[in-house]
Amino acid sequence: MAWPALKLSLSVALVATVFVVLSGTAFGWLLARGRFRGREFLDSVLMLPLVLPPTVTGYYLIVLLGRRGLLGAPLHDLTGWSIPFSWSACVIAAVVVAHPLMVRAARGAFEAIDARQLLAAASLGHGSGSIFLRIAVPLARRGLAAGAVLSFARAIGEFGATLLLAGNIAGRTQTLPLAIYEALQMGDDRAALVLSLVLTAVSLAAMAGIFRLGRKR
Amino acid sequence: MSGFVVDFSLTRRSTDSTGFRLEARLETHEGITVVSGPSGAGKSTLLLAILGALRPERGRIAVADRTLFDSTNGIDLPVRDRRLGMVFQEGALFPHMNALQNVLFAARGDDRQALAHRLLDQVGAGSWHERYPRELSGGQRQRVAFARALAARPRALLLDEPFSALDRSARARLADLLLELRGEAGIPFLHVTHDLAEALQLADRLILLDAGRVAAAGDAGDVLAAMGSGPAHDNLFLADVARHHADAGYTEIVVRGVSLYCGLLERECGGRAVFSLGSREPLLAVAPPGPTSARNVVEGTIRSIEAHGSGVLVVVETPHPLSVSVTPSAVAELDLTVGRHVYLLIKAAALRCLT
Repeated sequence: MAWPALKLSLSVALVATVFVVLSGTAFGWLLARGRFRGREFLDSVLMLPLVLPPTVTGYYLIVLLGRRGLLGAPLHDLTGWSIPFSWSACVIAAVVVAHPLMVRAARGAFEAIDARQLLAAASLGHGSGSIFLRIAVPLARRGLAAGAVLSFARAIGEFGATLLLAGNIAGRTQTLPLAIYEALQMGDDRAALVLSLVLTAVSLAAMAGIFRLGRKR
Repeated sequence: MSGFVVDFSLTRRSTDSTGFRLEARLETHEGITVVSGPSGAGKSTLLLAILGALRPERGRIAVADRTLFDSTNGIDLPVRDRRLGMVFQEGALFPHMNALQNVLFAARGDDRQALAHRLLDQVGAGSWHERYPRELSGGQRQRVAFARALAARPRALLLDEPFSALDRSARARLADLLLELRGEAGIPFLHVTHDLAEALQLADRLILLDAGRVAAAGDAGDVLAAMGSGPAHDNLFLADVARHHADAGYTEIVVRGVSLYCGLLERECGGRAVFSLGSREPLLAVAPPGPTSARNVVEGTIRSIEAHGSGVLVVVETPHPLSVSVTPSAVAELDLTVGRHVYLLIKAAALRCLT
């Protein structure tokens, strides 16, 4: 019971973190340095999963992506692909709940950069893409790494939205938190303890690893 | 080739909603133009507008015969296309790159590597170009910042208080370097500083900003003379360091053809330096004085006599105008009048070198 759940949780959390880091970094940059109409609105929308209860987020995801959902129905008609109760559903749920944490961390890290350095880079003839990749991201790397750790931790611990969108199918969509829940329900206290310790160890290891990455110059 | 041709107005709204308005109107040629003035005069705003980080409401900015901004024609080049080098107060070097990488980030052209190394050698950074900014002193960081700004082959260089975070000796060395770079770079420099001594040492042309307006502009010496004097009516002037008399303990300096002796300076001969002379320091005589301990006796004519507080300020054309504070009774007893020929007695120690 522990091994398939661990494998699934790791793959879901890692893939979700990659998506979250890429998208969250881009949105964080946009919010930190962009000057455009609707910035506050975009900020509110992006932060929504942070304030909503995960079950509500999960419900909205079903409304949106379910087999008869707003996007899910046409997707199923066109490709025959159905999202709910799949590995992809686990990833989507994890991405959605972890995304605001990364946006917030990235925005803070980019806002902390000395504006004169970005101005200096522009005056040296560099365009916004080059400034973002060669100056802003390296300077914000610690904040971005912290955001990645938080996102990974949030993704691997995701429970509510995952349960609603992906269900709790052992060996297929049963991630570690769901396995812990089930073990407790079945009265298997020992399994619950082992699974909890495994999840704790994975989270600590991830944190240590990513922080080391961030410390390199 | 012209330097900076600037004529614009720009309003900056601050958080307490007291807007600041800058009316910038100036025209410069090659060499170093220094913009000075008290803090809040609009010096940094002027630089940021020329750089393209702030947009004026109306007007025109041209640098080295190229229009960068023109509100009537809708021209507003982005910062990256203006080709202006910028040196900030504390360098703003990229902390995750070493000195060489900082310069290479800017370097353009086929010979980027060679250009970067040549510039680093030129600013004296050749032997430590692999160090990171946090491993460098303030002066070293500014040297790298000069090299980085020049590596992008800019058409002009903007410097925003580049020496303000440095100690006195580092300032003097960097000022010498800047004068050297001016000659080799062959592009106009616009140097902002609130330090008048630094302004006088560097300026080919001096612009004084005050409360968002150009208060005076022209040859540095003329602007200084036009100011009359500093806030305490101390005299400030530029002088050439002519020769040292180490055994006698003094240095000979020349101000507009007039030789003066001051205390022995630790500076090389041939350079320019800024000196101050307190207005209370000189003694004023109406007849040639006999032998005194004062090392300098300067002849001149009185240009103006003005009441100043409880005293009187007499400006004597020597030909450099010097302000001298005297008492009202001295004016009466000596019968001081405008146009009268007088003698100023100045102790060597009263001439203080500021740079």
